[in-house]
Amino acid sequence: MGTALQLFISFFLIGFGAYGGGLVTIPLIQHEIVVNQQWLTFEQMASLLAIAQMTPGPIAVNTATFVGFQINGVLGAAIATLAVILPAILILIWLAPFVDRISHNLYVLKIRKGIQLGVLSLILYATWSYSAIAIEGWLDLLLGITAFAVLVAFEGKLHPIFVILACGVVGLLFF
Amino acid sequence: MNDQPNNGGQDGRVVPYLALFWTFFRIGLLTLGGGLAMATVMRHELVLQRGWINDDDFMSEMSLATLVPGAIAVNVAYLQGRRLRGKVGAATAVFGTVLPAFSMILLVAWVALPYLSNLWVAAFLRGCAIAVSGQLAFASFIFGRRYLLNWQSAVVCAVGLVIVAGLQWHPVAAVLATGGLGYLLCKPDRPTDPLQGPD
Repeated sequence: MGTALQLFISFFLIGFGAYGGGLVTIPLIQHEIVVNQQWLTFEQMASLLAIAQMTPGPIAVNTATFVGFQINGVLGAAIATLAVILPAILILIWLAPFVDRISHNLYVLKIRKGIQLGVLSLILYATWSYSAIAIEGWLDLLLGITAFAVLVAFEGKLHPIFVILACGVVGLLFF
Repeated sequence: MNDQPNNGGQDGRVVPYLALFWTFFRIGLLTLGGGLAMATVMRHELVLQRGWINDDDFMSEMSLATLVPGAIAVNVAYLQGRRLRGKVGAATAVFGTVLPAFSMILLVAWVALPYLSNLWVAAFLRGCAIAVSGQLAFASFIFGRRYLLNWQSAVVCAVGLVIVAGLQWHPVAAVLATGGLGYLLCKPDRPTDPLQGPD
């Protein structure tokens, strides 16, 4: 029962911090799942993040299902998945009746501005802390920079999954 | 305006739970990787194809969905389900959105896990993992260009960095602190740009 509770708490925290979803969850997952709980190694997390982007659904939900399953089977998968979406649902239950007023409220918009900058700081930090482990040599660095350059060059015109698959093929050929 | 669920689409017809479930199941299935890319898919399904909601109300929902934490698709599912069929509708829509992701990952965990240690698969995934580095750098670039507009925003972002990188506190602490600091320091954008949120 202890692990089930910890599973719930960890993914509740991830769900709460995953503001905007997507890549912002990476620093949270790395902090909570790899460093704090040590449920995954860094390599397992990196593989999972790649898989999560090739399967349907948000990265946070995919990670929750996967880690939950590894720790506690299907029940664990259900607990972790529920925990990761619960913070958003609870806040929405509270806020939904005011949907039209809230999205134009000055104070809410100021807080949101701050949170967006907080998210930027998380992503900046994740770029460093993730890459410091994932990139092991010159070839890796070259591939990472190429991926970045391609994403910038084709901004908005290219689904990121193509870059991930292309890097996978490069990995197949050279690693 | 839309404070109460109205138990129906725009034309007043009651939307069956099954249709609600199926629509959000499709949305959940079609959105690889998540993020704001799915805003287009959702608008297509909800506004254009089914006419369950008009563009203005959809924009309100999107901006509230990006105001709260968590996956945007799940948040929109909750709001849209609630608008159409109340609490049960909200639960149905959220369940539909999450189910494809949930079942697909269980399938991967069950079937594919033994193959992950295969040399070829491992080499492929290592390449993919490096692409994620590039994606993170790209996201930093995009967010930085969009949000770092004046000294106030630089200060808020720096405080976030000190908390998460310097003090090594939990990232949630950085989100909370920068939210509070934003309230004190930041000037808000025009309120009507939900599609400019983080992705």
